[in-house]
Amino acid sequence: MTPSQEQLRWMYRTMLLSRRFEEAIAAAYFEGKQPAFNMANGPIPGEMHLSNGQEPCAVGVCAHLEAGDFVTATHRPHHIAIAKGVNLKAMAAEIFGKRTGLSGGRGGHMHLFDAQVNFSCAGIIGEGMGPAVGAAAAFRQRGENRVAVSFIGEGAANQGAFHEALNLAAVWQAPVVFVIEDNAWGISVAKRDSTAVADNALRAAAYGMPGHRVTGNDPLRVFAVAGEAIARARAGEGPSLIEIETYRLEGHFMGDAEGYRAEGEVAGLKAKDPIAVLRQQLLESGTVDATADPRIQAEAQSTVDEAIAAARAAPFPAAQEAYEQVYA
Amino acid sequence: MNVPLNRTKRNLTIAKAMAEAIAGEMRHDPAVLVLGEDIGKLGGVFGNTRGLYEEFGAARVKDTPISETAFIGAAVGMACVGMKPVVELMFVDFFGVCMDAIYNLAAKNCYFSGGQSPVPMVLMTSVGGGYGDAGQHSQCLYGTFAHLPGLKVVVPSNAYDAKGLMLSAIRDPNPVVYMFHKALQGMGWLGTVKGAINDVPEDEYLVPIGKAAIARAGRDVTLVGLGATVHHALDAAAELAKENVEAEVIDLRSLVPLDRETVLASVRKTGRLVVADDDYQSFGVSGEIIALASEAAFPQLKAAPRRVAFPDIPIPFSPALERPLLPDAAKIAAAARATLGTK
Amino acid sequence: MATAVAVPQDLWEEDMPGIISAWLFEDGDAVRQGDLIAELMVEKTAYELTAPEAGRLKILVQPEVPFQRGDVVAQIE
Repeated sequence: MTPSQEQLRWMYRTMLLSRRFEEAIAAAYFEGKQPAFNMANGPIPGEMHLSNGQEPCAVGVCAHLEAGDFVTATHRPHHIAIAKGVNLKAMAAEIFGKRTGLSGGRGGHMHLFDAQVNFSCAGIIGEGMGPAVGAAAAFRQRGENRVAVSFIGEGAANQGAFHEALNLAAVWQAPVVFVIEDNAWGISVAKRDSTAVADNALRAAAYGMPGHRVTGNDPLRVFAVAGEAIARARAGEGPSLIEIETYRLEGHFMGDAEGYRAEGEVAGLKAKDPIAVLRQQLLESGTVDATADPRIQAEAQSTVDEAIAAARAAPFPAAQEAYEQVYA
Repeated sequence: MNVPLNRTKRNLTIAKAMAEAIAGEMRHDPAVLVLGEDIGKLGGVFGNTRGLYEEFGAARVKDTPISETAFIGAAVGMACVGMKPVVELMFVDFFGVCMDAIYNLAAKNCYFSGGQSPVPMVLMTSVGGGYGDAGQHSQCLYGTFAHLPGLKVVVPSNAYDAKGLMLSAIRDPNPVVYMFHKALQGMGWLGTVKGAINDVPEDEYLVPIGKAAIARAGRDVTLVGLGATVHHALDAAAELAKENVEAEVIDLRSLVPLDRETVLASVRKTGRLVVADDDYQSFGVSGEIIALASEAAFPQLKAAPRRVAFPDIPIPFSPALERPLLPDAAKIAAAARATLGTK
Repeated sequence: MATAVAVPQDLWEEDMPGIISAWLFEDGDAVRQGDLIAELMVEKTAYELTAPEAGRLKILVQPEVPFQRGDVVAQIE
């Protein structure tokens, strides 16, 4: 399956938007945290898990999804949220803890919910897998053409919820696709030290579904494999597992000294930045015009700048609002 | 306290005190091993296993996959065949994925086996919020773990107790849940509470499990705290002292067994009780202490007991929402004044 | 004769400031040679400072006040 010209341009623009967003968030995150890095300080307190480098996973999959398709993600959610069409201004405001945020400041960066596009994420490993199975099962039962996608990291493939969710999805023939973003590290522990198989796609067979591993952190390869899996699901042929070889250019969380990574590892990864690679391909094929590219890049930057500025300017919720929305 | 006289004071952070305690036990007892996520090469996300991997190697300091049910269950098995595992549950909030291994397995094996199969393991886990980590990374859950029979539960408030309690926990033949508060660890990126950094003797010494400490003697009102709230209570006591109110601050140190006698002796002396607990308010530690006082010290109570706790809502992310909800010295002092009928 | 306690020139790479995240002793406390006396933070990474000699600690730089490598942060008297 190959993307259309329009889809290619969408993927490129979305990867740019995602990367510019992460850069802006990183800059804001470090405000108030230098020289003393105290997590509680600054306009964005707490932890921050950025997705720089993992954009191909988000765009290659979400290119096939509609607003009605149900997506769950992890503590590293921004690129997926953006690709799914989450309201960027509300998302930025939520990360800044403002009243105009997706949840009025209650969730923050790890708990972003946008019901308009059926997106949610959470901070417990594997937690989003069960809900994806359930949503998919409901779609099937009601005869709808919708699918669910559960994004997880490769570390989650060793968590109990993973095995239960895959099995249940297959037993129910639920229209769900499980997407593993394999960035090779579970905080400081390398995949080879935590996982009994080098390729998690092999585990799919244990749960009666097809599994594919996509290498090279290439959005076009992701597009092809995800397209097939999503089409299978929509056609009523059941769940699939995809593992995507990707990498994170930043630490596990902002502030991570990354002493566990080999010297030169990150520099090597930055040298093959997937956005630069895609740009090169699109310029060469003429999908993106060399004269149009600067405008495309500037637009991504200005969209992000607007969202961040609006987030900064927005009011904080009143303390009393903490008590609201505990119950419906 | 059996400490050599004339030794020079040596302050440590709680993180270092925990690591030192574990290292000391590992040196003289080959049955002790450590397992958990990132506790090996990284030395623990919260610094409590620094240096262990370098000294003892991968066989005894095991970085695990993200498989809490499996590795906590495995620790129970190890304990049943003569090992003494020290297992880390990185954030107490993660208990949801592995609670069976803790409360149905570790907690009940000794009982179900009529004493044949005790489980000498330590489950160390980080607790506490106040730094913007939101509802799944900021909970205390003291009440949750204290509530279930078969576990011992300890909560150190300072480095001296942290080392002594860890040594006691490792030597205890029962499963001990060792809950360390993130704000007190001494990790710079979580802020620093000076009172948690104190003198820690290099030698072995034990802090008994099941014994509270009187952190500050007083006669007018009893302030009961655990972990971070001990420090808030001490700050509140300093404020109250300026108003000629002498508060007695009790550091529970252990939830299970609970040192009811120390609490009761204090309440009978002062007649006034405030419990400070940064866990959710209802159905937990604060209710337990107040029930105790009303059951066993009722005639001595001069005023209704009070509690300062986190409300019964998920912990919100935004500092505008979270900060006002956290127990602090001002709230504790206000509650103390309320028991005195003053403002 | 006071001994300066300086942050080692080569303790970290790059020219970033560090801060003391915690003094492990009070001003005036007795310390022994080799005692861990402070924890430093440089951006994200934690380092330790040990006493070069025994004596009384005099703190010159307070927590969260930035310093450069090589700066003297305390004295042992």
